[in-house]
Amino acid sequence: MTEMKSSRRSFLKGGLTAGAAAAAAAVSGRAMAEGDPAITEVQDWNRYLGDGVDARPYGHPSQYESHVVRQDVPWLTADPISSVNFTPLHELDGIITPNGLCFERHHAGIADIDPAQHRLMINGLVETPLVFTMGDLMRFPRENHVYFLECAANSGMEWRGAQLNGCQYTHGMVHCVMYTGVRLKHLLREAGVKESAKWLLAEGADASAMTRSLPLEKGLEDCLVAWKMNGEALRPEQGYPLRLVLPGWEGNMWVKWLRRIEVGDKPWHQREETSKYTDLLANGKARRFTWVMDVKSVITSPSPQAPITHGKGRAVLTGLAWSGNGAISRVDVSLDGGRNWTTARLDGPSFSKALHRFYHEFDWDGSELFLQSRAIDEKGFVQPTKNELRAARGENSIYHNNGIQTWHVAKDGAVENVEIS
Amino acid sequence: MSRFLEVVVAAATLLAIPAAAHAQDATAGEKVFAKCKACHMVGDSARNRIGPHLNELFGRTAGTIEGFNYSKAMKEAGASGLVWDEETLGHFLANPRASVKGTRMAFPGLKDEGDVSDLTAYLKRFSKQADTAPAEEASAPVVEPEARAEGKAPTPEEKTAIVRPIPTHGVLHLGRPATEQEITAWDIDVRPDGLGLPEGSGTVMEGEPLYTERCASCHGDFGEAIGRWPVLAGGFDTLTRERPVKTIGSYWPYLSTVYDYIRRAMPFGDARSLTDDEVYALTAYVLYLNDVVTDQEFELSKENFTSIELPNEDGFVVDDRLSEPHYAEAADPCMRNCKPGKAKITMHAAVLDVTPEDGNEDEASGGSID
Ligand code: HEC
Ligand code: HEC
Repeated sequence: MTEMKSSRRSFLKGGLTAGAAAAAAAVSGRAMAEGDPAITEVQDWNRYLGDGVDARPYGHPSQYESHVVRQDVPWLTADPISSVNFTPLHELDGIITPNGLCFERHHAGIADIDPAQHRLMINGLVETPLVFTMGDLMRFPRENHVYFLECAANSGMEWRGAQLNGCQYTHGMVHCVMYTGVRLKHLLREAGVKESAKWLLAEGADASAMTRSLPLEKGLEDCLVAWKMNGEALRPEQGYPLRLVLPGWEGNMWVKWLRRIEVGDKPWHQREETSKYTDLLANGKARRFTWVMDVKSVITSPSPQAPITHGKGRAVLTGLAWSGNGAISRVDVSLDGGRNWTTARLDGPSFSKALHRFYHEFDWDGSELFLQSRAIDEKGFVQPTKNELRAARGENSIYHNNGIQTWHVAKDGAVENVEIS
Repeated sequence: MSRFLEVVVAAATLLAIPAAAHAQDATAGEKVFAKCKACHMVGDSARNRIGPHLNELFGRTAGTIEGFNYSKAMKEAGASGLVWDEETLGHFLANPRASVKGTRMAFPGLKDEGDVSDLTAYLKRFSKQADTAPAEEASAPVVEPEARAEGKAPTPEEKTAIVRPIPTHGVLHLGRPATEQEITAWDIDVRPDGLGLPEGSGTVMEGEPLYTERCASCHGDFGEAIGRWPVLAGGFDTLTRERPVKTIGSYWPYLSTVYDYIRRAMPFGDARSLTDDEVYALTAYVLYLNDVVTDQEFELSKENFTSIELPNEDGFVVDDRLSEPHYAEAADPCMRNCKPGKAKITMHAAVLDVTPEDGNEDEASGGSID
């Protein structure tokens, strides 16, 4: 185990030093007199022609960004077909997650659906059970909204203590994109919801036929049936051609490959709302229908995968905050493990139930730091500590862990996920 | 002339010679059409299926049947002047994907030119405008109703069969009413009060061999699970322990969920392959594995289903997160000197040593995602 740890450390240091040292050597030797060869020498890209416009009909990130990918944790689940991978939060900025980096969780693999064969059915307690084609849906009035989607199990591995070294793993089951779609209420109105209706059941077309019950009020309030993310078609792994969008509520309910909405007068108690997505408390009872994602934040850099590599001096701390209750009104950060707090600078658009970006610029004196962030939402909810959550719920909840995260920054700039006194 | 047409015309010229040498035979073409039938209909009551109906195909601009969801490629081919006639069709059918790049028609193509020309002859029967002239450069993609008719003209019924009635439901009149069969095919959910249960029954004894054959490879002979596949049985009285084992017997509140879930999602990788009776038998067997029933003769049926209660039915409470002190007190958070002394590390992630980067694939010593 120590070997593991030291190999990881040396990997990190190697990563920092190799590149930095090479650059420094180049600059300090010859370059001191003659200047930086990155400037003084004519570079290939400055001399030779690049690819033409026909080379990349669908563009990809630069080859130098190839490490910015979703990662999975094989031991978490029995099989990659019913599993999860994580958004590389530490590499991203702003509030929008690129489509190809949005974390994935499916229960029977990625369904490959021909949109011409896709149908959305509305049945149950309605005047006229209906079938819509994709073409039909696009004739409804459309709306665009930016929302975060967080898996209820995000940070679920951390209930019993610090486990995974990297915000990608501890917090990477969240993403935030702009959805284009139609409000579910328009579709329901088309079918004519009966007086006795109180609940909806959403169902997916994949081989898990994912189902979740949700109260009719949510369906009428702000639920969308979406087919675009960030302007382009949903990615297959995000439910192409159609998914449900339940702003502020746990990701499992945002049924992908959405094919049916049933209207009923009672909840269905499906597997994903009994066996799973119920929060077991210390007393052996479990909470059910815990839909809202609570106020939460995490520092994405510095973080274990994004250590401080520049040494002492000016440093930028940044992170994300979000709440299922609405917009974020404030984020405080602490460099000393929650003894003293400073209000961070929120930057970029502030949308209700979307990710918010915060920054805190500071001068690092090279001493060890205990970084924490604490979000407050527009309803006044304050992000709790992990210990407050453990005191109220025990450690078997799995879901809804929105506790304050601590990163330890060592003197050499390496960062580690820790629990502190 | 569009780039597409140039290609088509060029190819058509090449094809024209052997095709002309073959005597067209519509009856033979009908047999060839068997290859298309999985997706296309012609004749009386032809509708759009996986592919558009092929009545009045000759003279049709590609990608223009109202209400059919064409690929972008097919619509664009039509927009740039592709009209179906003997040549363009011959070229398309020889290799659909090469001729209209991006077409959704999942058909490899007809390799035999004789087949192509026979099929064309057959399809002409369902077009009033069965024109054999090659595509003219300047021809507008307009279908003339009085075009030279060759073969059978569609009857009025044929025409109306493909016209969708205007719906009257709702506000915007979008979508169409679902049929009974469609609802039955998809609406298979079951509620705790038994709503949605199908007719049928199955016994523990019938469930046992089924389970062994179709479930045990992942869930274990006794529901104890192989590796990290889900555990289906046991775990009684573990819910307050450090490592609770949540199973149907120890945790699930309702039996309806077991029936519903097995029917919709199991066996993993072969969902919807079990009959309703088989699902009853498997549900009965899982009850037996969990000691909820102990008699091997026990038969579970639609009739006695709701009389079975699972042990943990009362184990669930409503969401009362907001009553937890950290939320309920809604105090202004402390900003200065909030805790005494310096922060000390009480636990390192590296100590648990489960960071995936480290290449450690041992089982989690901590939590899990579900
Ligand atoms: C597996 C299903 C499938 C099979 C088999 C199939 N087709 Fe198609 N066909 C389609 C689909 C889907 C389209 C629509 C293509 C698109 O939009 O790109 C189509 C389009 C067409 C079109 C264009 C029609 C229009 O309105 O523009 C023609 C002509 C056609 N098919 C003829 C045939 C013939 C003849 C055969 C048999 C030799 C055949 N197809 C076999 C699925 C199929
Ligand atoms: C190839 C492995 C495999 C086979 C075979 C299989 N299952 Fe499963 N089963 C799974 C997986 C994986 C899951 C969890 C799926 C998910 O993540 O949503 C599961 C989940 C379940 C669950 C829910 C468990 C829980 O605690 O939530 C039940 C019940 C179940 N299976 C019953 C069956 C039955 C009955 C059969 C036989 C007809 C069967 N399974 C065959 C892999 C399998």
